[in-house]
Amino acid sequence: MQREKITSVNTERTMEIEETRIKSFDKCSRINHSFRVFDGEYAGVQFYQGIVSDEEGYRQAEQNLALKRPYKFSLETGSRCRDKTEREYTDREFMDTVREMLDYLSTHYPDFTFGGSVQTRKNTLSMQNSLGLDHSNTDCILEAGITYKHKDSKDLFDGWFDLGMRDYDMKKFKDMADNYLSCFNDLVELPEELIIQQQYYSLLDKFHDCLDAENLALGTSLLSGKLGEKVFADSFTLLHDVSDKETWFTPFFDAEGVVLPEDRFVYIENGVMLSGYADKYTADKYGVPHTGSAGLNMADIPYNGSVNLKIQRSEKTAKELLGGRLSVVPIRAHGGGYNDKGEYVTPVQHAMLCDGERFIGRLPEFAIKGSMFDIFGKDFIGVTSDDPIFNDKNILVKMSLSV
Amino acid sequence: MFRFPEGLYADIRTERIDNACFSVQNGEVKQNSETSVSGAIIRVYDGKMWYTSVTNDLESIQSELDSLASVAEPDPAIADHPAVKLYEVHKDKVLHFDGDKDIRKVTRPQREALLNGYIEKCVDPDIPEIKQWYASYFSTHSVKEFYSSKGAEIVSDYQQCFAGIWFDFVVDGVTTSGGKYYGSMFFDDLKGHEDGIIARRDRYLDFAKNAVDAEPGGCVCVLAPDVTGMFTHECFGHKSEADQMLSDQTLRDEWIMGKKVGSELVSICDSGDMFPHRGYIAYDDEGTAVKETWLIRDGVLTGRLHDANSASVLGEDLTGNARAQDFSCAPMVRMTNTYMKNGTTPPEEIIAGVKDGIYVYNVQYGTGLSTFTMKPSICYRIRDGKLAEPLRVNVITGSVFQTLFDIDAVGNDLRFCDTSTCGKRGQSMPVSDAGPTIRVRSLNVN
Repeated sequence: MQREKITSVNTERTMEIEETRIKSFDKCSRINHSFRVFDGEYAGVQFYQGIVSDEEGYRQAEQNLALKRPYKFSLETGSRCRDKTEREYTDREFMDTVREMLDYLSTHYPDFTFGGSVQTRKNTLSMQNSLGLDHSNTDCILEAGITYKHKDSKDLFDGWFDLGMRDYDMKKFKDMADNYLSCFNDLVELPEELIIQQQYYSLLDKFHDCLDAENLALGTSLLSGKLGEKVFADSFTLLHDVSDKETWFTPFFDAEGVVLPEDRFVYIENGVMLSGYADKYTADKYGVPHTGSAGLNMADIPYNGSVNLKIQRSEKTAKELLGGRLSVVPIRAHGGGYNDKGEYVTPVQHAMLCDGERFIGRLPEFAIKGSMFDIFGKDFIGVTSDDPIFNDKNILVKMSLSV
Repeated sequence: MFRFPEGLYADIRTERIDNACFSVQNGEVKQNSETSVSGAIIRVYDGKMWYTSVTNDLESIQSELDSLASVAEPDPAIADHPAVKLYEVHKDKVLHFDGDKDIRKVTRPQREALLNGYIEKCVDPDIPEIKQWYASYFSTHSVKEFYSSKGAEIVSDYQQCFAGIWFDFVVDGVTTSGGKYYGSMFFDDLKGHEDGIIARRDRYLDFAKNAVDAEPGGCVCVLAPDVTGMFTHECFGHKSEADQMLSDQTLRDEWIMGKKVGSELVSICDSGDMFPHRGYIAYDDEGTAVKETWLIRDGVLTGRLHDANSASVLGEDLTGNARAQDFSCAPMVRMTNTYMKNGTTPPEEIIAGVKDGIYVYNVQYGTGLSTFTMKPSICYRIRDGKLAEPLRVNVITGSVFQTLFDIDAVGNDLRFCDTSTCGKRGQSMPVSDAGPTIRVRSLNVN
């Protein structure tokens, strides 16, 4: 009988902001455990929250073998510890940081009210098993998510900006606030050519379904039957990446303890479909390679679906990719998304005109449309080498106006 | 029980949550689990800000309380603080689910039998378009205890369970996903819905085979009761949450009581006191007894939803809408069971009055700011007063300031949807939405 334990230790402090004042200071600390035992055919799994002895945890897990949850795969081995912590704030430092943020916002932008929260978060996810595997991944950040509302606005809020960092740079926070707020009242028109500049995560939603190896095998993916085919733009490479450079609370191991070479796996390379993602069970069932994609279910066996999708960056900055053109940055684009056919439509309730780095003025409401195959195909301009606007990667892509 | 600090208001909410899950995908059991968690949130208020702590260690509540009190700034006059004065003091025990109705007494074999019965009758291997299916059962049960420094002592329980099947239909390389889930506070209510699941399965299959893309633009929309429920929640409900307008003069002016904000056909109510609908609560998470709040009567703004802070700032009465997702979260103003009042027109008449428009049969989710949105699953063209071909619509949008005026027919077929979940500032909350069939003169379709 083999044993495996996964432990997640999460510590958070949050300062809630309401109408530009600190509403509350909240502390939360939680420990979760998943105990697993394996008899070669089945796994018994038991979830615990809080402090519990290994003896009790494994005892319950052994009882759950009776549920006959199938797991016939070899456990992983290896030992690695990654700690991305750069700075841990004392309560006083944290409070002072938030007060400095609010002082800046209220002093420089008195026509706005601000809400949201500022949070410190530290998580350690560790995994050990009876074959000697011993992995641990720690990350620790301070993150501000600020909503803003102009005093004349009839909306509940107009927009927001987020900035999370491991060692907070107040200058970047102030610069971000200036960019979002200083030209809010400058109303401008949409440019003729609609180039959308944004963080790309929401645009990748559809790939989570389409790259699932089971969906590919059963024909329920829009990419079924396209393995080995050129489907997207030459410059479009999509990969799972949990390397030191790309991780943001994403552990380097999956829920089966798999560690990928260089912490990466490429699914689409230069527009060509190479692979779907699969945990060991899915890989075994459909005869495909497993890709370190097991998701963590603390109360049951792993599931297929843990991917940290990233688009490979181009070598050009946002301004270079734009080549003198202006972009449109959706700030609030709620309610749309992809349909079954991969067509993308979303209303954009609040957006800014941009030169690639700085906002120029506020745009009227509009709606945008595209399709998954065009957004990452003929309309794909690239992902920036720099991190303007969001302190994160930006995608630049052409889209069309909808009504 | 607890030693509350002087010069501060404090409350403590403990909770034990028991969940069970059983799911089957394409004939393979994907999850079969039972989990229990318990914890507490301890809050201290000094009249200026809150200090809170969340812990899984119920033995540490007193020390957490003492620790929070040590960093707060006591105010001898805290009892006179406007919000603190409003906090209600109830000593009550409201346990609806003791005994045989306790969902925790449903055994694994009972869950499996329920779901396997649905699978046997509703998953038809002779429908080639079904490429995948997912059958799931989920239940949650919680017992909360609430104590405040003003003397409140409340124990209450809550439970929900769900079961249903979701299908992936593939037609011409496009996957359409849909199915039907049933939710209730009682396990026995989940039984006997085979016909409903099969009917929904066949409706989605027809949609997958025959749907055409809708032309973008503005058009007359008739909303089915479930859609009206979400529309009510998203279009207006969120605007009624008073914590979003505390000292904002523009919003206060816009949403002043007595203002006409919609058609006189429109009346909207929120009430947590509607057992056993999904948004039912006996007391909110500040210990306030829930109340019925008419937000709009005959098109006129008549109320809004409050926690103690917003009620004190705006000088209005408590409504019992301070809710928290669970013990890890502080309460904020949330809806409970929100519905648009029944009208008098049969739904067939409402559709018959449309020469060219769209019937929105069901929706996946919505968002609610000044421009509200709804993402439909199935729509139909209305042509010459009759439902015609199914339509694919990606998103429907409208302006809250205009749309409530554009409602020109309200049906007599009020129906509650007891599977809804509302998200706000990172917290998910069980709610019930309801409404009858309504007709809106123009919504934007994409």
